[in-house]
Amino acid sequence: MKILGCFKVVPDLDLIVEEDWNIENHLHIDTGYAKLIWNCFDEGALEMMLRLSDLSEGLNVVYKLSALTIGRQKTENFLKTLYALGFSEGARICVEAEDEILFSPEMISEGIANYVKKIEGQDVILTGIQSSDGNNKMTPYLLAEKLGWPCITQVIGLEPIDEEHLKVTSQVSGGCIVRKVKTPCVFAIGNAPCSYLRIPTLKAKMKLGKRPVTRLVPEDMGMSETAENVRVTALNPIDKKRNTVVIEADSPQEKARCLYEKYLKERLSEL
Amino acid sequence: MAIISREQIVEGLEEILGKEQVITDEQVLKESSLDRYRKYEQVCEVYTQPIPAAVVYVKSTQEVADVLSFANENEINVVPRTGHSAIEGGLETALKDSIVIDGSTMNKVIKVDEYNMQVTCQCGVPLQELDDMLRERGYTTGHSPQSKPLAQIGGLVATRSIGQFSTLYGGIEDMIVGMEAVFPNGKVCRIKNVPRRAAGPDIRHIICGNEGAICFITEVTLKLFKWQPQNNRYIGYKLDDEYMKLGFDCLREVMVEGYKPSFARLYDAADAQQHFSAWLEEGKAILIWMAEGPANITPAIEEGIKGLMSKHPELEEVDPALIEKWYGGLNWGPEQIAEEKEEILATRNIGITTEVSGSWDNIYEIYKTACDRILEEVPDMTLMGGHSSHSYINGTNMYFVYYYNVVDCAPEEEINKYHDRINQIICEQVIKYGGSIVHHHGLGKARAKYVTQEYGSSYYMLKTLKQAFDPNGIMNMGTLIPLRK
Ligand SMILES: Cc1cc2nc3c(=O)[nH]c(=O)nc-3n(C[C@H](O)[C@H](O)[C@H](O)COP(=O)(O)OP(=O)(O)OC[C@H]3O[C@@H](n4cnc5c(N)ncnc54)[C@H](O)[C@@H]3O)c2cc1C
Repeated sequence: MKILGCFKVVPDLDLIVEEDWNIENHLHIDTGYAKLIWNCFDEGALEMMLRLSDLSEGLNVVYKLSALTIGRQKTENFLKTLYALGFSEGARICVEAEDEILFSPEMISEGIANYVKKIEGQDVILTGIQSSDGNNKMTPYLLAEKLGWPCITQVIGLEPIDEEHLKVTSQVSGGCIVRKVKTPCVFAIGNAPCSYLRIPTLKAKMKLGKRPVTRLVPEDMGMSETAENVRVTALNPIDKKRNTVVIEADSPQEKARCLYEKYLKERLSEL
Repeated sequence: MAIISREQIVEGLEEILGKEQVITDEQVLKESSLDRYRKYEQVCEVYTQPIPAAVVYVKSTQEVADVLSFANENEINVVPRTGHSAIEGGLETALKDSIVIDGSTMNKVIKVDEYNMQVTCQCGVPLQELDDMLRERGYTTGHSPQSKPLAQIGGLVATRSIGQFSTLYGGIEDMIVGMEAVFPNGKVCRIKNVPRRAAGPDIRHIICGNEGAICFITEVTLKLFKWQPQNNRYIGYKLDDEYMKLGFDCLREVMVEGYKPSFARLYDAADAQQHFSAWLEEGKAILIWMAEGPANITPAIEEGIKGLMSKHPELEEVDPALIEKWYGGLNWGPEQIAEEKEEILATRNIGITTEVSGSWDNIYEIYKTACDRILEEVPDMTLMGGHSSHSYINGTNMYFVYYYNVVDCAPEEEINKYHDRINQIICEQVIKYGGSIVHHHGLGKARAKYVTQEYGSSYYMLKTLKQAFDPNGIMNMGTLIPLRK
């Protein structure tokens, strides 16, 4: 079974200094200096692929794991990490100006769909549910539509069955459903229980991580034909400030009493 | 070792401090039996060290004196503690029925003396709070360890800590003015605040760096400096990793020519990728300086350093804005610790650091041979690298950073299979080339076993100090000086 993990490399937004969130009069946030990390949902998806592969040991199914990313050259290090972890194929659709595709899930899904149609056919595609910078939450749906495949969202577990089926656990409101799913299918990974990707040893990196990455041109993947149908017109920071009251009193006991009498007593009685 | 029972210890402490200040909750006791030296055990919540009898929160110097006298009379091991950020086993309760004395409740800033440029505070004042408060007034302590959001004044002095701006301000030993400390017999000693004196040996250094193995620090006076970040200048260069030796030489040149930047760093390629992956190519090391101080000095330092570096064609300048922004996100607080725990549990991959120092003529060999040996001899390594972050006229430090996967190994065995083995290689290489095995985290219990090699003939002085001040052997036993098997 051929499984493709689509992932995005994003800046670690926790490292963005406060003044850079100040977005008066421009439509760009400078994240160029922040460390690059796996988009968290994609990281969970890639680990899920490896776990599925671990589970197949001793069974009569062979999983061929591949990965695809759309982004700048720096992302190739991430593909090499995946090689070191046992992925057999890594490809990048080369887009250096990543900002320009930040809000273009239409274009991204077109690129992925064409990769699967023209370059490397797949039975299953995993994506994260959304990225931390674009937050579009549309790519897996659009991708499934373009391929004419079903799409299951909020997937939290995959287990092997046979060459054409997987046991898929996904979250729904109020619980989980476990389904036997026939491939092909797109899975969108949300809150995966394993949200961190394992780390390859330096020896594995030396041995497996040196293979070249397949580089693809966006035009060949039909990305330039997809009209940009969304344009950013304004950015507004979320006001995280809350109204606060400082309780003044002489002792902690008095402060606690005041907190209880004025703010908690009534609410607690409503419980 | 205590000559009274665990129950009697708790009763005695309750008599001195009242029940509220004496904690015997099982989970608190377990968590108080170790520190980040046993990080893997800590995150796996496996406790292999003797569980202390109680953790006590002290509110005054008198209470510290009373608890110490009680422990001294009854031969109970005590472990002083403030911020709980130690990483070398200094907080491990190595003996049965220990008492952890926590000074974090002694957290008052006693006096900010802007005229004499000094601040006096109790041992439990968190450094972050102190420096934030001072910055609002236009001052700083100049002390900025990565653990600034975690560490407190008592621990910072007890470990001889150092901050990121040490090249300008020095380590904590250069910042201390006077101190108050309590010795095991309950004796309270105050060292007065004067700019300098030549009245015999500098006894501040019996207290500073004692790691809780000689006395309990209750109060510290530190120097103040003007805080003028608007004048900061950042300078950075990238170079191929194979030129690390040149990198050390560049650090040296700046020091030898007499410049005083506030930080001076050299990251090798492996470590650099952890910080600068957004824009730095793989395989590139990086050199960084920051100049801090009056407006007419920082441009001169910048110009001077750039002049020196322009003679090295192997270096390529980087946009200083990238350095400036990176340094804003360097410190570690409780959120990062919590995140790290989750990550270790999920991946079984753990990162550790070991810091050493060497002279200009041996630091490269120490760095290179230790890295090579570790990669050769230790299994499951996922990252091996490091950086130099504190430079002096005569040498610099090396901060080894290493990650490994914990494979086929119970939490309680991890320390032998990986961490101690790596530490041992580093210490062996440092001793072989003539450096110091400890630059700033303290010997703790992790590296106490190398103390005689580290000290050589001067070990006599350390041992005599310990015996003289702590004849009953109650102060943080196993720290600085290893326990006899
Ligand atoms: C993420 C991280 C980053 C770090 N970065 C740095 C760094 O940049 N520079 C650096 O120097 N260190 C660093 N450290 C190490 C550590 O933070 C320092 O050693 C710090 O000085 C410890 O302060 P603390 O208040 O947390 O002390 P604790 O952890 O509570 O104690 C440390 C040691 O001091 C003793 N001690 C504590 N309080 C007293 C007291 N009142 N009297 C006598 N002995 C006492 C303890 O017994 C123990 O041996 C780092 C640690 C972490 C976890």
